Amino acid sequence: MRAYIARRLLQAVAVVFGVITLMFFMFRLMPADPTTMLVEQGLSDEARQALLEQWGLTGSMAEQYWRYLVNMATGNFGSSFFYQKPAWDVLLPMIINTAWIAVPGMLLGALVGCALGIRVGWARRGSATERAGIFLATIIRGVPSFVLGIFMLAIFSTWLRWLPGFGMGQLGLTDDFGRYFTSSFFLHLVLPVATLAIFFIPENLLLMRSGVVENRGEDYIELVRAKGVSESRVAWHAARNSMLPVITWLFPALAETVAGIIVIEVVFSWPGVGRELVLAVGRQDYPVAQAAFFVLAVMIVLANLLADLVYVKLDPRVTYT
Amino acid sequence: MTVSAAKSTKAREALALWSATKRKTIFAPLLDTFDLLVRDRFALAGMIIIGLFLLVALFGHMIAPYDPTQTLRSPDGGLARLQPPSMRHWLGTTAYAKDVLSQLLVGTRVAFIVGISAALVVGFISTLLGLLSGYYGRYVDDIIMRFTDFAMSIPTLPIAIVAVAILGSSLRNIIIVIALLFWRNGARIVRSVVLTEKEKVYVQAARAAGASHTYIMVTHILPNVIPVAFLWMTMSTAFAILAEASLSFLGLGDPNTTSWGQMLNIAFTTGSSRTAWWWVIPPSLCLVLLISSIYVVGRAYEEKTNPKLRKA
Repeated sequence: MRAYIARRLLQAVAVVFGVITLMFFMFRLMPADPTTMLVEQGLSDEARQALLEQWGLTGSMAEQYWRYLVNMATGNFGSSFFYQKPAWDVLLPMIINTAWIAVPGMLLGALVGCALGIRVGWARRGSATERAGIFLATIIRGVPSFVLGIFMLAIFSTWLRWLPGFGMGQLGLTDDFGRYFTSSFFLHLVLPVATLAIFFIPENLLLMRSGVVENRGEDYIELVRAKGVSESRVAWHAARNSMLPVITWLFPALAETVAGIIVIEVVFSWPGVGRELVLAVGRQDYPVAQAAFFVLAVMIVLANLLADLVYVKLDPRVTYT
Repeated sequence: MTVSAAKSTKAREALALWSATKRKTIFAPLLDTFDLLVRDRFALAGMIIIGLFLLVALFGHMIAPYDPTQTLRSPDGGLARLQPPSMRHWLGTTAYAKDVLSQLLVGTRVAFIVGISAALVVGFISTLLGLLSGYYGRYVDDIIMRFTDFAMSIPTLPIAIVAVAILGSSLRNIIIVIALLFWRNGARIVRSVVLTEKEKVYVQAARAAGASHTYIMVTHILPNVIPVAFLWMTMSTAFAILAEASLSFLGLGDPNTTSWGQMLNIAFTTGSSRTAWWWVIPPSLCLVLLISSIYVVGRAYEEKTNPKLRKA
């Protein structure tokens, strides 16, 4: 068990290392080095050389790679061309902003999705509940997150004027975590979180439903039913065993969900990591783009790691060596 | 009377002959499932919708009333900006005075080009890697699966954003990037089928009879893998269309083509998406209809091929 966790941790580190290496080569595939656009703005040759050195773009590929690894290990992502300050300082507050919509949105989506999934999975095969549930889930799953966002914005913000849909609103004046606890911030939070939750529900619903359908024919369900407990308790037995596949699927599905988060951040002008990645790419501010990509990749690796560790706790049948 | 009877016997004979021959091809399982799909009402509706979109993709540029890139003027000479639907412009015009209907019709083709080409590449890579990995096992399996694990942990859209920004946002690059992202789950799914299939007695019998590995893989295992690979390709088509639309919506689409995602991008960035419903609803609806239809068909197909989900 301990060996398994150790191996899993090692694997996570290896993946992060792989992502970093991939990033190194991708950002060096760029047709022109980033100074060319600064040269056009009247940069002298010496200044350009100094900049190249500062960004670690001089020397052989191996040297560059080594310096790059050292920089990454020490958390040095270079300086943003656009903000004129370290890329990490730009991103740090944005990571918190992203977490504010990502965590509640996904938890809410998973919760509602699973609850509905149990309901649909337990319904009589071929009943109206089952057909409607699956049909709606499949349709909603086909709605791109930006379409969902644009319509939420148009309906609740422009048409009904119930909720704001742009940015984060007024934050508190203090510099600590308490500044998020303003009513304006929470009002701005509602639409992005709701959109993310809706985006996340169908996948959970369908997975949970498949699990329940597969489990409901098992002998142990008959046994529970024979004991004379209520139907909802019987359903709960099937549901508990259906959660394992949901959990294993949920976390890898994060890789796809991040896509939803990026787009939702853009639609609601939410100053998070995803939106910053898109903006940085547009501004050719590649230290920030690189750092934002790194943050998103690490988020997914961590989530996967968490999923596997939770799984160890949840499923006593599996032995790990 | 007798003529039609004779005709129908002939037709029946032909059908019997056709179904006898179709068993021989590796696509036989697909044709069987197609028969089943036609009987599923939702799947049939989905296939009809996809078929209609395909027609638009093929002939859309012919029926488009205007050139989608042309800046239009109203009869009084001014630019026809943000006009609501009228007889001249059935779906109104954009903020840059382009015809929405024409853009919509022409944009359909981009969705199909991206979806189908990405799915073909995805199908090829995942079938190949899944076959090799599952059949040979041991270190081949180890190498391919560790590589797949790694690929699985790369966030899809972020890497697509970075890659397209670096390589340039041409339609070809977008397709390549998308295809390189979605093979990973497919390879795993194919591998799991190969693992169960290769343990069957007939494979050992073929091996004992002197068949080569390649021969067994192609003639015995591949036909059993095709339905699963095809299911994944179907889903990949939807993923690819969605990914292209997302990239285009973020402003990273091919600037030389007109796509649904790009229409929404322009509507959103010009701030018209809150008011110009005639510009926003059509591409949104088309994306939802097409992607959902593919999902519905894929889902029905999965129900037919996965005995565990089949109705008791």
